Amino acid sequence: MTKTYQPNEPIWCAGCGHYGVRNALLAAFRQMQIESHQAMVLAGIGCAGTLQNNVSAYGYHALHGRVLPTATGAKLANPQLDVIAVGGDGDGYAIGCGHLIHSFKRNPGVVYILMNNGTYGLTKGQHSPTADVEDTAEQALDGVQLGLSIPGSSFIARGSSASPVQLEALIVAAIEHTRAGLGFAFLEVLSPCVTYNDTYPAWAGRMVNVDELAEYDCDNRIGAFAAVNSLMVENRFATGLIFKQDGRSPERRRLDSGQAPLCELDISPDSHLSEFREIMAGYGV
Amino acid sequence: MAAHEPLTDLNVMVAGQGGDGSLTVISVLTELLARRGYHLYMARNVASRIKGGHAAAMMRGSLLQRGCLGDHIDLLVAFDQEAVDMAAARMAAESIVIFDSSDGALCRSALAKDVRAIEVPFGRFAVRDLRRDLFKNSLSFGVLSYFLSIDEEEAINCLHHTFRRLPKDAIAANTNAFDNGRQFASGYYPQQERWMLADVERSEQLLISGNEAIAFGFMLAGGRFFAGYPITPATEILEWLQKNGTRFNAVTMQAEDELAAINMVLGAAMTGVRSMTATSGPGFALMQETISHAGSAEIPLVVVNCQRAGPSTGMPTKPEQSDINMMAFGANGDFPRVVLAPGGPRDCFELSVQATNLAQQLQCPVILALDQVVSQNASTVEPFDLDAVQLQHGKRVDASELRNMSEYRRYQVTADGVSPWAVPGTPGGESLVTGNERNEWGQVSSNPENRRVMVDKRQRKLDSNLHLLPRGNFWGDADASIGLLGIGMQQGVIEEAQQRLAAAGLRIKCLQPRTIWPVIDETLDFIRSSERVYVIEHNQGGQLARVLLAAGASKACIGSIRKYDGEPFSPGDLYSEIRQAEADRQGKSG
Repeated sequence: MTKTYQPNEPIWCAGCGHYGVRNALLAAFRQMQIESHQAMVLAGIGCAGTLQNNVSAYGYHALHGRVLPTATGAKLANPQLDVIAVGGDGDGYAIGCGHLIHSFKRNPGVVYILMNNGTYGLTKGQHSPTADVEDTAEQALDGVQLGLSIPGSSFIARGSSASPVQLEALIVAAIEHTRAGLGFAFLEVLSPCVTYNDTYPAWAGRMVNVDELAEYDCDNRIGAFAAVNSLMVENRFATGLIFKQDGRSPERRRLDSGQAPLCELDISPDSHLSEFREIMAGYGV
Repeated sequence: MAAHEPLTDLNVMVAGQGGDGSLTVISVLTELLARRGYHLYMARNVASRIKGGHAAAMMRGSLLQRGCLGDHIDLLVAFDQEAVDMAAARMAAESIVIFDSSDGALCRSALAKDVRAIEVPFGRFAVRDLRRDLFKNSLSFGVLSYFLSIDEEEAINCLHHTFRRLPKDAIAANTNAFDNGRQFASGYYPQQERWMLADVERSEQLLISGNEAIAFGFMLAGGRFFAGYPITPATEILEWLQKNGTRFNAVTMQAEDELAAINMVLGAAMTGVRSMTATSGPGFALMQETISHAGSAEIPLVVVNCQRAGPSTGMPTKPEQSDINMMAFGANGDFPRVVLAPGGPRDCFELSVQATNLAQQLQCPVILALDQVVSQNASTVEPFDLDAVQLQHGKRVDASELRNMSEYRRYQVTADGVSPWAVPGTPGGESLVTGNERNEWGQVSSNPENRRVMVDKRQRKLDSNLHLLPRGNFWGDADASIGLLGIGMQQGVIEEAQQRLAAAGLRIKCLQPRTIWPVIDETLDFIRSSERVYVIEHNQGGQLARVLLAAGASKACIGSIRKYDGEPFSPGDLYSEIRQAEADRQGKSG
């Protein structure tokens, strides 16, 4: 066995919701028997953006807000990897929100776990895009509704670090969605910051697991949108698998058309010399 | 220009409003001159809009290989008065203007007396006889072909070859238009006043632009992932790869912005696929953070910057070399990087291959510095030597090599600074890749001793591998005490100016550095071995000269010749500038 790095202990405060996310991710890896070299965990910037240091996998620390394009590039390069992007609400809904929209639209086989705590913990407590700010009357942005509004979105779920069993199941479902080539799996996790925005008490009792509602149909975008909105009006949150449809991810489309994974292509010039000569001949005068 | 003597060097401009089809006329002429064995150089001058605005296509056919347009226009086909007014100052002595007089007679006030004008109402004829204004292109080619003493069959062959992908009836209509032009011309000119083209043998060459050669070289060097956001004058690279990349199972992504583009490239690159993005100044500015990150995290990245006139949005369709500071010094922190500057399509091909390899060998960002002229102008070059291309894989390690290693550290400190590199998916290579300072395992660290070791390790990758960096092109009189030095679009101009200076008795040596960052010894040696070196560049601040001065060139030795009006130097401009600068020195010392 080649000795590689040992995962660090998290830098998070005692009681941070992110512990729940890490534990659920590790449990999902165990449940699915994902070996450490098979998974690539890419993290954004902020407290959530250190999670890659605390699991045994190929870890990468992305630039602030850019974790999704980087994960997209990695997944296209090697579709056999389980590519897990993680980050906070600042990373995904503020500086990187443009990429989130386009990831829903582009639908790459990437799992995106966004830890939402309504605050910027690492820089000591500024408002995040998911905070309701009384002073300015700015209302919180809702990533689930945003995802539902984009026609190509294929997997939208919400979990909570306070519900580890549900969270583990959602992470497994998200990884399975990407493995099946169905596309981008978005999982927002309500993950409180106990130091700057301790929402455990405020969120307690307000979460409604749609998976437990007999009449709820996660294949119905309009129904999902209506349900999520109705719950919001009642000051509650929908959790669970909110919406799912079968997409076809770009890397899956490549594989289906018989193309080898990019990282396995024979790139030696000799292997394509006649094609290169043909292209060059097209410029001949 | 004397009639009857075969032309050795012919500069043609076809100009009008965008959408008039000036480029079509140039394409047919190009075909004609190529068949006669001329070397070709083509340029376009367009406004940044979809249709309309003044647009000109320019072509130089010469029996000697040339890397730029000539000083003057010998033959102008003008579809409107604006075209004549804009070109007037550049018309050669005894040159010809073929003017579309559909909207009225030519106003000659801007033209010198010896410029001959031939007025033909192309547009009116086209509409009257063929019911479409666009046929004026083939009509004007009919006139041109007669004027250049091309026999009808040869001219029609060229026309048909250029239009070979059009439907049959369109070809027939264009042939009709050509005939009309030809008939008109034969009744108009005296036979003896016609010009003649040479007819020489030359081996087959490529007529290719820099951007196309960059994309081709990248693919040949094993590049299989490209992401970009459209921007003038870099877009052709994205388009070329979209069109041709699928043949090699490559992925070409049009991203939502430059930040997404370069970070997708980063993701594919760190997963072991040779990856590139291309942009121009404004997009390159957006990419700075990621370039610094790739330098820190040690990810192989190729970024093409097709420079245009800045600052800010500047002049999107005009060339400049004013991102040199940004490419050599931009982005936060100290990190190793390489900036390569090709001078023509051949260089673009070679340096694209080398950049793709170097990024793998050094595990750092490699920037290809083009300018609009190098990017978009096309010229004839010898066919590329595909057999000579070899892939360099640097210190990539695979699963079987890892099995024989007792431990794997992604950022292992080594003698040459380059660490063994396992890509995600490889058993035994698990690692943490980060732009944060970290220890050899990739774990974040701000330990002062570790910090110093890591910064030095990254710099050492460059310092210990300088021998891998592309050497420049030298020419002229190696023993001369006066040097000319320029990159990119200056290469062809310097070459021709030097020949004229030599003919005028001035001994000159020339260097086109192809590695501009770091500044390598051969560049400094060239300067040290000269009494004075004129650094020729397209920017206001003398950015290249300042880079050389900062690297240790003597200030007393450097003369800076700059232009920043969006128009390239002509060889004649540069010849005069050097003559003048030398005369001024003589005056001062005398």
